[in-house]
Amino acid sequence: MELNPSTLDMDWSEVETKILRFIKDYVRKSKMDGVVVGLSGGVDSCTSAALSALAIGGKQVQALMLFEKETRNPEDIRHAKLVAKQYGLNAQMCDITDTLGAFYRSIPSFDLADKLCKGNVKARTRMIYFYYYANKMNLIVCGSSDKSETMMGYFTKWGDVAADIWPIMDLYKTQVRRLAEHIGISKKIARKPSSPALWPGQAAENELGIKYEQLDLILYGLEHFLKVEEIAERLRLKRELVEKVKRRWLSSEHKRRMLLTAKLEYRTVGWDFRLPRDPYQLAREDDL
Amino acid sequence: MKQRFRLALAQISCEKADKTANLRKMEKTVIEAKKQGADLVIFPELSLTGYVVRDEIYELAETIPGPSISIVENIARKTKTYIVLGMPELSRKTQATLHNTAALVGPRGFIGKYQKMYLPTHSVFEEKRYFRPGYDAAAFDTPLGRIGLIICYDIFFPEVCRLTRLAGAQLIVCISASPAIRRAFFETLTSARAIENTTFLAYVNLVGIEDGLQFWGGSRLIGPQGKILGKAKYDEEDLVTCDIDYTDLRSVEAFVPTLRDLRPELFDKLKESAEKL
Repeated sequence: MELNPSTLDMDWSEVETKILRFIKDYVRKSKMDGVVVGLSGGVDSCTSAALSALAIGGKQVQALMLFEKETRNPEDIRHAKLVAKQYGLNAQMCDITDTLGAFYRSIPSFDLADKLCKGNVKARTRMIYFYYYANKMNLIVCGSSDKSETMMGYFTKWGDVAADIWPIMDLYKTQVRRLAEHIGISKKIARKPSSPALWPGQAAENELGIKYEQLDLILYGLEHFLKVEEIAERLRLKRELVEKVKRRWLSSEHKRRMLLTAKLEYRTVGWDFRLPRDPYQLAREDDL
Repeated sequence: MKQRFRLALAQISCEKADKTANLRKMEKTVIEAKKQGADLVIFPELSLTGYVVRDEIYELAETIPGPSISIVENIARKTKTYIVLGMPELSRKTQATLHNTAALVGPRGFIGKYQKMYLPTHSVFEEKRYFRPGYDAAAFDTPLGRIGLIICYDIFFPEVCRLTRLAGAQLIVCISASPAIRRAFFETLTSARAIENTTFLAYVNLVGIEDGLQFWGGSRLIGPQGKILGKAKYDEEDLVTCDIDYTDLRSVEAFVPTLRDLRPELFDKLKESAEKL
């Protein structure tokens, strides 16, 4: 198996069709009125929002632009608005600065300098906004996580990954960029560096310690059962780097597979209750 | 026996775990197929219940014959058609031992069944968790010729089609629930199995989305020379009728005599090697 940029090529029209069908099918079967999706201005969220609009119509897509003082980036806002306009989304902007401030203040020992803990609070606060809109407006939460970040565990548990459906989770970041361009999202948005926007100046590639172009090919090799040394040899990388990526992938499974239950009885949630997902529950009932 | 007849590739999506709705859809489809001149109507694997029903399958499975087969018998009787469908079969001797089964029903009632031999339990599939494998190839005499039955993943194992052909099948029906990522495999294997066995092969796949899994459709009838004689759409429900003429078999069997050239002694070696794998 070759590992080079063309390895990640797909038939983008077919990928688009499959994703649109997936979104449409879930919305129909769940008898909901549409989706709510976070629109940060980054490539993942812009692509998920645009695909949702192409699947069910922009008016059925509630795009939430959740910004806060610390990470507010005028270019991201401009990009989010651009996509909202281009795809006719039902867009709304919320400033969550006060919500976050109230949370920080409510914990006497809250450590404002601990950017990781604080950043995770931001991701989980955004999730609360999405589910509020979902409950209130009878919508499904559409996630924007991609395969690279998900495999690397580069997300907040119960935070940015929390959603009902994940239309682009089986695409690596560099594939999402190509799909974005295929469906008409501007090159500037499709190719700009990614950031979870949890603290100022945060850049995904810096934190992961590797360029997505390389990371995606390593992950592709792991997905296809290649051994670490085979991947390193094909990509002319140090074995240690590939090993590091693999370790990070394996050690973050707890974030991807929730509900670890102590097995005590006959059939158990998370183990051997193996039930179909359909028929879907209404989101309103999810929280009861 | 008819040398020529028309069959229908009934590429449907299923209402998951709703046998009544699926039987209603089958009846409607058979009536439409009959209007188009079809004598045999073929539905996909587990089309009675849907494919991704997981633990619900214990409640949905039935004996064959059984209540759902009785309803299919009525449809076949009323419309004077032969029908193949897939369903979870409950063993008569137990309460929770199941097979993934294809059933053949005709205007005079239930004709026969085939229990899937190769149960995929890898990737997104978990069939061995629920089903016991079958052990016998199946081919049944009907006025539409001798019809053999296989199911989906069986097609990756040439011995299943070979056994079915050696049991005399002139038409091998392969019912399937194949997700989109496997399309290229099936498109190649359906032609290969028809060619290597000099037989007609009707492949009928599921469509629709179940638990996010998309089934690709693309049902087809392949002639003994590997030619696609009829093909349904990808990804969408479709009903395609196409014609079989068994006289084509003689010409191909003489031209590429794979059955004449079979070397049974190689099968002993194959058995030995497989046991030592």
